[in-house]
Amino acid sequence: MATQAHSLSYAGCNFLRQRLVLSTLSGRPVKIRRIRARDDNPGLRDFEASFIRLLDKITNGSRIEINQTGTTLYYQPGLLYGGSVEHDCSVLRGIGYYLEALLCLAPFMKQPLKIVLRGVTNDQVDPSVDVLKATALPLLKQFGIDGESFELKILRRGMPPGGGGEVLFSCPVRKVLKPVQLTDPGKIKRIRGMAYSVRVSPQMANRIVDSARSILNKFIPDIYIYTDHMKGVNSGKSPGFGLSLVAETTNGTYLSAELASNPQGQGAAVLPEDLGRNCARLLLEEIYRGGCVDSTNQSLALLLMTLGQQDVSKVLLGPLSPYTIEFLRHLKSFFQIMFKIETKPCVEELKGGDKVLMTCVGIGFSNLSKTLK
Amino acid sequence: AVRTKLAKPLGDSGQKPESENFVDETSDIEDLLKEEEDHEEESCPTETSGALKWKDDLSRKAAEAFLRQQQATPNLRKLIYGTVTEDNEEEDGDAPEELGGLFRVSQPGRACKHKADSLDCSRFLVEAPHDWDLEEVVNSIRDCFVTGKWEEDKDAAKILAEDEE
Repeated sequence: MATQAHSLSYAGCNFLRQRLVLSTLSGRPVKIRRIRARDDNPGLRDFEASFIRLLDKITNGSRIEINQTGTTLYYQPGLLYGGSVEHDCSVLRGIGYYLEALLCLAPFMKQPLKIVLRGVTNDQVDPSVDVLKATALPLLKQFGIDGESFELKILRRGMPPGGGGEVLFSCPVRKVLKPVQLTDPGKIKRIRGMAYSVRVSPQMANRIVDSARSILNKFIPDIYIYTDHMKGVNSGKSPGFGLSLVAETTNGTYLSAELASNPQGQGAAVLPEDLGRNCARLLLEEIYRGGCVDSTNQSLALLLMTLGQQDVSKVLLGPLSPYTIEFLRHLKSFFQIMFKIETKPCVEELKGGDKVLMTCVGIGFSNLSKTLK
Repeated sequence: AVRTKLAKPLGDSGQKPESENFVDETSDIEDLLKEEEDHEEESCPTETSGALKWKDDLSRKAAEAFLRQQQATPNLRKLIYGTVTEDNEEEDGDAPEELGGLFRVSQPGRACKHKADSLDCSRFLVEAPHDWDLEEVVNSIRDCFVTGKWEEDKDAAKILAEDEE
């Protein structure tokens, strides 16, 4: 087959999402072999199968082949279609796992995407919906993806292991993206947060707020942490609580940190006071890393820069995460694009650790399937 | 001449220690300067006016400046793009150790194989957390906040004072 020749081949289940997302955007088929081949329980897991089903729902004409043991996956992408979709995510991973991929794909649909996702809204592994709402959405706006239909709403909150959360995400489509120059993060003017609790005493959220404030007040007075206690059917199926914090700068950069309680029946009970303090410290770590983009959204920013118009884009990042480094390698193999990477040491200034300036020229990707009205 | 200059420092940058590189670079620059003098002597007679002289060798000067900058910073580019971990078919066939000609010893694999099947997560975990109770650690991010010290050109008090003058 002619298309087979162009397919990229990888081994292992790590970075599955970025491989499939980049494959969909570039149109190059991808083959992933030896997925947990040496594991006692080999092959794709439920949450990965659910992710592949989601890709199948939002595209038209994708071809997916999985062998009997699930250790080999062949994916030939179709066209991004979008429209109104509903999807039940696996409770093994958070909705953030699925949402991160949708954030990369949604601007390039034929029809604007309007999707209802059900599952776990907040867990300890993936970026929560609260954090993505507070950091990824403003980032997409910088690239010109904006409008009244652009929203991410938490309808129900669900914690692991039971899940039962529900999220609405809708995103307008764009033909081309704007290049960005994000080189000055500015200074942090305020800190906002969300302390949530479901199926436990509402007092938990207040205890989290007090302890987090006790640490952050030393840095800046403008702190407001909302408390969110959902009740009844809106509180999902499992008890839990947590906190997400976002620092907002004068130039519109959002840096985030979050922590959630241990899932019911797993690990020791966590005191809300400890959780609040530790989360505040994590936010300080994130501020120390710094940059114009939050560490979880580095790869999203780099992808949108790559897909921008044929113009120079620059972004200042904190230290690159392992996920981002692998993403850069994948961008090279799918789009033949290499970034110019310069380290900017912060020695004499009191502004945290070293930064990295990433520069690239967009490949001039345009959304040809978008219908003209 | 441009080609050789370009190729040489690039090839060396990985293995040589900093000091050697530095010596290398300075001697390179000296060579370049000498060459430049020679070049000018050659080109001067043919030049009709001195006005366009700055345009000579622009590409070489740019290449030189680029190389100087490259050597000054640790090469992140090489770290990221240097070794691409793609799937190698050959890996399966490398010297299988057999026991009694029947069983093959299953090796647990190297670090990269472990990585290939690890958790797919975009969160960047903090490996060595700072002690935020220490004053000096707290001070290291002091200027990230609006309450910290501002740059000269952005300091509100300074700008106001200048306006009044």
